[in-house]
Amino acid sequence: MKTLTIVLTDGPYISEYAEIACKLTEEALRWYHVNIFLYLDAVHIPRKGQTPSFFSNIGELFTGLAEKGVVIRACARCAAARGYIAEENLENGSNCKDYHPGIRISSLYELAEMLKKSDRVISLSR
Amino acid sequence: MKSVFYLLDTAPYGSEKAFGALNAVAVSLNGMNVTLGLYGDGVYLAAADQDSTNLRMPNLSDILYSYGELRVLVHEPSLIERGLFDKTLIETIELVDEEDFLKEMENLDSVILF
Repeated sequence: MKTLTIVLTDGPYISEYAEIACKLTEEALRWYHVNIFLYLDAVHIPRKGQTPSFFSNIGELFTGLAEKGVVIRACARCAAARGYIAEENLENGSNCKDYHPGIRISSLYELAEMLKKSDRVISLSR
Repeated sequence: MKSVFYLLDTAPYGSEKAFGALNAVAVSLNGMNVTLGLYGDGVYLAAADQDSTNLRMPNLSDILYSYGELRVLVHEPSLIERGLFDKTLIETIELVDEEDFLKEMENLDSVILF
């Protein structure tokens, strides 16, 4: 199976890219193993407790993708800068108590590894 | 994936985008062919003698200098539009026109936008 990596840099609700990434991923899972790397403000996407009035809860959409086997990683430096701290232990597949299950904070080096192993890369950024 | 083109069209200071692009470039240099393309306001990153002291930001041109193996393409029309063409630029860059910029993007395996 081929591998697709999606790179996001924008936070949720400021653009539709996070939701677009979800829809692309849902479709791509028919043919691809999908990685999603959350960089810069995109590290806000998996935050628990979001209550958007007029949009889908993007954190819940992403945890749903993780349940389907999508590897979702957030940049550690970007996450720490925004108050999301990586812990040593995993709980429900996540190493951050503020994140939805299945989504982990990881090193930026993981982005490079994802790129090396990918057959296709999609970058969504404003 | 063997090669990646990082496209930066955001000015170097005032947001985290340029710094983020340079960090992504840095981790990709190990084992991949990496090109950084500066387009639009991104060409300000090519200006020499940047002083970011008062911004409490790292000097991003110094970071570019420290990655000698990195290929940096600068979109020449963007430089001209911003009055930077006759200014002192960092030495490690290559000036390219629209056609060559696009060709370089096409030739690499992936393009990541900042």
